[in-house]
Amino acid sequence: MMILPVLCLALTIAAPQETVRSIAIDARLAADAGLQPGDRVSLSAEPGEAGQLAVIAAIVRRSADPAEIARGEYKIRLHLTQLQALLGYGDRVDRFAVATTSDGVIGDAAARINSAAFGFRAHRSRDIAVQTSATFAVVSRFHRAIGVITIVASAIFLLCIMLLKVDERRRDVAALRLMGISAATIVRGVVLEAAGIAVAGSVVGVGIGAVTSWLVNLHYQNVYRTPLRFSIVTGDIMLLAVSLSLVLGLVAGWLAALRLVRTPPLALFGR
Amino acid sequence: MLFTLAAASLMRHRARTVLAVLGVAVSAAMLLDMVMLSSGMRVSFRTLLVSQGFQLRVSPKGTLPFDTEATIRDGDSLVALLHVRRGVQAVSPVFGGQLHLSTPRGIVASSALGVIPAVEGDYELVDGRQPVNSNEMVANDALLTATGLRVGDTVRAGSGYDSQLRSLAGERALRIVGRARFVYMAKEQKGAALPIATFRAMHGRESDGRISLAMVRLAPGQDAEAERAALEALFPRVTVISIATALKGVDERLVYFKQIAVILGAVSLVVGFLLVTTLVTVSVNERIGEIAVMRAIGVRRWRIVAQIVLESSAMMLVASPLGLVLGLVTARYLNSILANFPGLPDRIDFFLFQPSAAWTSLGLLGLSGVLAGIYPSWRCASLPIATTLRQEAVG
Repeated sequence: MMILPVLCLALTIAAPQETVRSIAIDARLAADAGLQPGDRVSLSAEPGEAGQLAVIAAIVRRSADPAEIARGEYKIRLHLTQLQALLGYGDRVDRFAVATTSDGVIGDAAARINSAAFGFRAHRSRDIAVQTSATFAVVSRFHRAIGVITIVASAIFLLCIMLLKVDERRRDVAALRLMGISAATIVRGVVLEAAGIAVAGSVVGVGIGAVTSWLVNLHYQNVYRTPLRFSIVTGDIMLLAVSLSLVLGLVAGWLAALRLVRTPPLALFGR
Repeated sequence: MLFTLAAASLMRHRARTVLAVLGVAVSAAMLLDMVMLSSGMRVSFRTLLVSQGFQLRVSPKGTLPFDTEATIRDGDSLVALLHVRRGVQAVSPVFGGQLHLSTPRGIVASSALGVIPAVEGDYELVDGRQPVNSNEMVANDALLTATGLRVGDTVRAGSGYDSQLRSLAGERALRIVGRARFVYMAKEQKGAALPIATFRAMHGRESDGRISLAMVRLAPGQDAEAERAALEALFPRVTVISIATALKGVDERLVYFKQIAVILGAVSLVVGFLLVTTLVTVSVNERIGEIAVMRAIGVRRWRIVAQIVLESSAMMLVASPLGLVLGLVTARYLNSILANFPGLPDRIDFFLFQPSAAWTSLGLLGLSGVLAGIYPSWRCASLPIATTLRQEAVG
């Protein structure tokens, strides 16, 4: 089977006794052109040419290929000889896909193919995947940069909130200090409280993240009509988010508590 | 008086005010970046399209220019018909394909455009002259670097290369007469341009009369959309793209960035608003007694509200210039990341600074600053004076 990105397709009514070859079309084309299995269409390499008749045998779902995300083209799958004849391509092909017996022999197989003759080159599927997903690699870097800015903003926000929370208890802390409770104990108490808030916030945040991720996938899969998952919440990501939040919370709590215990108790009372 | 009280109130908790200003500055930076992102691509792409003065592009039916290898058969006839239309000032036909150059470094493949140099709109000459003769070509820096060739050199070139026979198809000698910068090519893309007749001849007889694209320049005052519709009706085998339809296509393809800009911009604004609201609320709660005393000695309710709104607005306004600078720096960094998109023309910017973007961000921040102060100030200015004073006095 071979894929041709642009192929003229015209809906036509064929004589019932004629033998026609089958093709498969992608779901996007089927939806937009109102086609279904069993329909007969005329295929030609250029608009206005007398085409070849074909019957739609299947409607295929698009693959989750990042390289195709922003492309609005339709896809038709034909028998190789059918497409070669349609394009006047002779027996030429654009590429072969070679299956190896195991992953361990891929390098050796590629080297043997490359040394066999001039005119073609074997590439690992993995290398091609890296090249074709370059767009997503850029988007990923962009997301990471946005993530860093978000973390900076969150850290400042958290520090502000902790400062306010601790400031609210100036009188309590002053009383504790005058009763003889050590500054270290007060700092530990505040830091513990900050950790509790950070953990609770993280749990809620993970929940919001999971729901948002689901909504993002739902929306963009619909916009781009692809099964590709745009947002994935993995264990690693959750762990990173919770750890980061915990560290930020602890640091914010520690800084706020330190500021408080350094102020004389009577000053905390406003005297 | 109003300003002095607001300033004194902000200076009372310096650390808190500084943190709030920092937090709002980061939010402002993010907001500015997202406003720039939401409009930058569109403006940048529009500037790119209109830069060469062609309002319409004619490509094979159902395709965008050079999106596929499809060509328009009888392109020369189409161009001739376009020429005689009223309102059409110039037509630039383009035939695109691969050009293989035989150099001391080996065979180098490049994208190439067959053009009519007198009316071309695909490149700008940096050095040298147009390839007016049939055996001439211009090349961009990427191609010259890859081949080691210079302006004035002659090179063997072909429209194809058979690597088994190691021979060029449609081979001929071309002299490089100029260095060009291709407007629509990606910055890393190797590019060349040569007369359309030469390039088609190199591709063989089946390319006779074919074009990949025709760019149409309309006379001043012509309605591009009306002309686009008229041409599509007249030539059903082609797609005619105006600046507006091209921008619509760009919008559809880059809808993700537009939406992420709106979402992150809104989140930044909400975060900044919440931060200031929280701080102002806490600050107001801390001095309820003070405010009650002011009310008791005859200070009007609106003056109290104005003072607190002034405090929140001041935080937003002090943070704005800081956010603007921070936003421009981060926009530059983020733009450098997105500039690495494969196939993106060199001149496309995702984050494009426009004064309107800065004013929009400033306006939104100012508004959220005012809104952030209204609720807590109104709430505390509305408290019963006697009860509040008694509660504060008793503790």
